Amino acid sequence: MIKAAGIAKSFGRVRAVRGVSFAVEPGQVAGLLGPNGAGKSTTIRIITGYLPADEGTVQVAGFDTRRDSLEARRNLGYLPEAAPLYPEMSVVGFLRYRARLFGIAPRDRVRAIGAAMERCRIEAVRGRRVGHLSRGYRQRVGLAAALLHDPPVLVLDEPTSALDPSQVVETRELIRDLGRTRTVLVSSHVLGEVERLCSRALIIAGGTLLADGTPAELVRRHGGPARYVIEARDEGRKAEPALRAVMGVAAVREERADGHWRRLGVEAGTDAPDLREPMAAALAGAGVAVRELSARPASLEDVFLRLLRAADPARENAA
Amino acid sequence: MSAAAVIAGREFRSFFRLPVGWVVIALYAALTGVVFAAGTLQPGGVATMRDFFALAAWLMLPVTPAVSMRLLAEEARSGTLEALVTSPVSDAHVVLGKYLGALAFLVAVLAPTLAFVATLWLVSDPRPEAGPIVAGYLSLVLLGGLYLAVGTLASALTNNQTLAFLLTFFFLVALLLASGTRMDFVPDWAQHAFYAVSIQRRVAEFAKGIVGLGDAVFFISGAVCFLALAWGALESRRWR
Repeated sequence: MIKAAGIAKSFGRVRAVRGVSFAVEPGQVAGLLGPNGAGKSTTIRIITGYLPADEGTVQVAGFDTRRDSLEARRNLGYLPEAAPLYPEMSVVGFLRYRARLFGIAPRDRVRAIGAAMERCRIEAVRGRRVGHLSRGYRQRVGLAAALLHDPPVLVLDEPTSALDPSQVVETRELIRDLGRTRTVLVSSHVLGEVERLCSRALIIAGGTLLADGTPAELVRRHGGPARYVIEARDEGRKAEPALRAVMGVAAVREERADGHWRRLGVEAGTDAPDLREPMAAALAGAGVAVRELSARPASLEDVFLRLLRAADPARENAA
Repeated sequence: MSAAAVIAGREFRSFFRLPVGWVVIALYAALTGVVFAAGTLQPGGVATMRDFFALAAWLMLPVTPAVSMRLLAEEARSGTLEALVTSPVSDAHVVLGKYLGALAFLVAVLAPTLAFVATLWLVSDPRPEAGPIVAGYLSLVLLGGLYLAVGTLASALTNNQTLAFLLTFFFLVALLLASGTRMDFVPDWAQHAFYAVSIQRRVAEFAKGIVGLGDAVFFISGAVCFLALAWGALESRRWR
């Protein structure tokens, strides 16, 4: 598992991380989500032991990253951002080097390298020079290197950033599969990535952890009031007053008009119940024909933006 | 296999995969070849390589920074340092491994010059004494070892290879000038201190075939000091 307790880090006068605490259990894929400069990379670097925290502690697989640094690193597989590799080495040569560095016994080395190459689908380029590979292949070689010693904890910084769409799907499947038995922390600024890949999202901004939970929980907690979309044949413009009269409706606005058909967006008030049934009844009562009435669930993107705006009002004003 | 040996092995092999490695070998062989042909291989002269070793030591001055400049600076620039120091390897092993890989490569740079020894051996009568030649090579390895340790420190201080080269080169030039030139404006105690760290004096002793334990200890302890500083510089990257 990964356990961060009150970690803080400053660079000169800039406070990059301010008292971040969270724990990721085995069997979880957690996504560390935040805009550029949020403190994601610093947090990742503290967890991997690359940077020491000014305050707080980090445990990786039960080992303190400062007191039992080498043991913590032995239990960690790390893919840094942009997967930096040695361009002059061959793929298999690089993996052999990493296997030796992690102290994998010679009798297990061939099997470990073969398994990592198979998992990351890089057997076809095993003899190629790393510097001659596409960025997508380099990313997968970096991932294979992180998996070589079969670590119980994986930290992956932007693992799909350079991959083409089919590779992204394959890599997500691989990470999900790895996350069944391991603790996986994925850093990303791509919301869709975290939504599809992670069982848990940690939203960070300004060096502070703003939210922590499953994507569904975060949407429920921070997604804001419920919203609905309605498409109605409304020549007499009766729909809007009818909807406004429904208890719990906070706002109604026209999104699109196409001939007699109008598309309306409805925003419910805070703590309003499900309004689909009373709205359907109100529209029927007003003689408005409806061809669509559906709830529009908030997305993780909505949550992300709401949290960022709440944390930084200047951003809200700018938006 | 220890982590330092693994890193040293990778470093050593990487020189042969990069143009810079072959260029250094070729240039050193060519320049020492000129020195050997023009200065040592003299018809009717005494079969000795003393002058060759003295000049070969000077040629170490541009060669060793060229070898050491990329050791840690390139790792930091390309980002591979992050993967390296987050693997289960201590920073001391990283520095030692990098240094040993470069030192092994330096031995490989010297290897082609053995052809000059063989040539002198074949064409001379009487044959040259083996002792000064062995001592001369030992001095080049010890001297190169010290220079590489200085270069490892410079490479740990910056991400820029060119800057690492220049820092090493000018530091070594300054050290050689200060310890090998009589400077009347300098107080006596400073003259003594410079004499104590004189590199040329020690290389000249080796070239005569005199292997002094004190001289060997000087080079080795100097290298250890600079490697310890390089270790500190690598550690300080985490705090900077």
